[in-house]
Amino acid sequence: MRLLLIEDDDILGEGLRDYLRAEGHAVDWFRDLRQADAVRGEPFDAWLLDWQLPDGSGLDWLRARRAKGETTPALMLTARDRLSDRVIGLDGGADDYLIKPFAPEELAARLRAVCRRSAGAADGRVRAGGVWIDIQARGAFRDGQRIELTAREWALLEALALRTGRIVLKGELERLVHGSDAEIASNALEVHISSLRKKLGRDVISTVRGLGYRLDEGGTAA
Amino acid sequence: MSGGAPTTELARRGNAAPPAAREAAPRLPSIRRRLARAMLVGSLLSGLAVAVAVWLAAIEEVEELLDDTLQASAEVMGSLLPRHGEPIVVTAPTKSDERFAWQVVDASQRVVMRSARAPGEPFLPAALAGFADSAQWRVFGVALGDDGRTLYVAQTRAERAEAQFEVAMSSVLAALAVGILAYFWLSALVRHEWGPVQRLSDRLATHEPLITGATLGAAERSELEAVHRSVDQLGQRLTQRVAHERAFTAQAAHALRTPLAGIDAQLAVCLRESPPELQPRLQRVREAATRLQRVVAALLTLFRSDGEPVREAVDLDELLRQFPLERLRVELQATRALHADIDLLAAAMANLLDNAQRHGATRVTVSTPAADTLRLDDDGPGVSPQRRQALQSALDAQAYDDAPGLGLALADLVARAHGGRLQLLVPANGRGFAVELSFHPAA
Repeated sequence: MRLLLIEDDDILGEGLRDYLRAEGHAVDWFRDLRQADAVRGEPFDAWLLDWQLPDGSGLDWLRARRAKGETTPALMLTARDRLSDRVIGLDGGADDYLIKPFAPEELAARLRAVCRRSAGAADGRVRAGGVWIDIQARGAFRDGQRIELTAREWALLEALALRTGRIVLKGELERLVHGSDAEIASNALEVHISSLRKKLGRDVISTVRGLGYRLDEGGTAA
Repeated sequence: MSGGAPTTELARRGNAAPPAAREAAPRLPSIRRRLARAMLVGSLLSGLAVAVAVWLAAIEEVEELLDDTLQASAEVMGSLLPRHGEPIVVTAPTKSDERFAWQVVDASQRVVMRSARAPGEPFLPAALAGFADSAQWRVFGVALGDDGRTLYVAQTRAERAEAQFEVAMSSVLAALAVGILAYFWLSALVRHEWGPVQRLSDRLATHEPLITGATLGAAERSELEAVHRSVDQLGQRLTQRVAHERAFTAQAAHALRTPLAGIDAQLAVCLRESPPELQPRLQRVREAATRLQRVVAALLTLFRSDGEPVREAVDLDELLRQFPLERLRVELQATRALHADIDLLAAAMANLLDNAQRHGATRVTVSTPAADTLRLDDDGPGVSPQRRQALQSALDAQAYDDAPGLGLALADLVARAHGGRLQLLVPANGRGFAVELSFHPAA
């Protein structure tokens, strides 16, 4: 998943960025809202944002995004632990609310849950072709057997699975998988798609010529 | 389950009084009762004083009146009686004889005339003009002519005393009746005037000064205006303090929680990236950081002015799974429901289990001997009965500086935050350390 992390504390921000990257996510970390606004329009699977930031309120930033119709799942990461704060945060557009301190494992699990719900896959599984893509278990399965995927291949498959049935543009897919600051070889995406098709089967990911790729739900996976 | 640094702040912030203070609440004097007593005594005393004064005055006045009557009667009779040589006459009895008698005594002290009730002997042994007293009579003598005769007009002393008593007694009773009526009237007045104070008390009981703009309203009596003013000013000061405290605790929470989250995130990354031989050590550091997080979260909740515990049903099995205690075996024997604030309970249990482990216990039994009551028994060395008593006394008095460390102090504060208590118990098998936390308000 490509994640936007807005957190002004260096130790926490760096720790979360590295942890989530190790989990296979692409993380764009910014220390304030001004920097985060610089990547406005970029596709993200989720926003992780602090409430109290040096140049404003993360919640106000979120409200403004929601007012513009942006529906990217958002998790508030904040030290504000009062019940009233949680209510305000959730009513303000957050999909989940984590009170600091929290374990990064819990953050990763909540992220998966939020994105799963956002993608409409309540049980976290998408059936495509002959395979099950399990977002919760972070893997693809055929006949109950896990199909070995590299981290990059999984990131690509996850990005498509979270947008099942939708055409994902090539550029959007590249940014979702690699993040904004990754060096990407010009044909890297095609290489990974090709590799995925070999492992999953040709009927899982379809190419929409001149636009991008699409993962279609359905099939006969067991 | 003891040890660690004591904390003075904790001692100041407990919200439940020690049992001694709860049990030995003396009955306070009542203003109404004291006023009623004072009024009763005052009314009776003033009634009595008035009665005595009336009594004396009545006696004096009646005495004078009777004397005047006696004198006037003597003078009238003296002018009417014959002047010379009457035979001895005893007049026929009349109704007035009951209170009144007269006699005429000649120069040789012989009674020559008398009323029916008058004695045959002279009232007085020697002739005397004016008032005189004999054993039974009050006498007024007046000379009749110039032959030595004397007219005595007399009243019985008993009759006079009876008249004086009747007049004085009715006056005294009237004075006492006024005193008693004054008492009841004053009592009713005090009750009526106490109404505004009672209503003020009722208003104070439901007064919420922290609600913006909340005031006590207009006073019903001028004497209460100062109280209303003071309470409203107190409410304003309280509101300001709470606002400052909220701002401070929000800052403190941010300043404490964010680095703790950062430490945990960094440690999680370290655990992933470190070589296997470092992982156990890093894991222990992370466990310590987790315990620190719980303590900080509990302290932030406990020290907040509106930090009321959020009670919910506790799944002890799930809660205990959160504590990674490698060297301690925890056995759960929970049979009754437990409702408590999960975060506060977790902080208390983390400290108690940590204490048990640090003091050499290898096994802890967690049980629920009653609803909303949690008991922990460990198999550590425990403490002597004297030490246990000293610890309990310190906890009861919230003198956390005196003995218990942060573990027991925090657990005690968590129990008190729920309205309950922490009790150190005699271990079931005579060995180890046993502690019971109640999470329900004391009956």
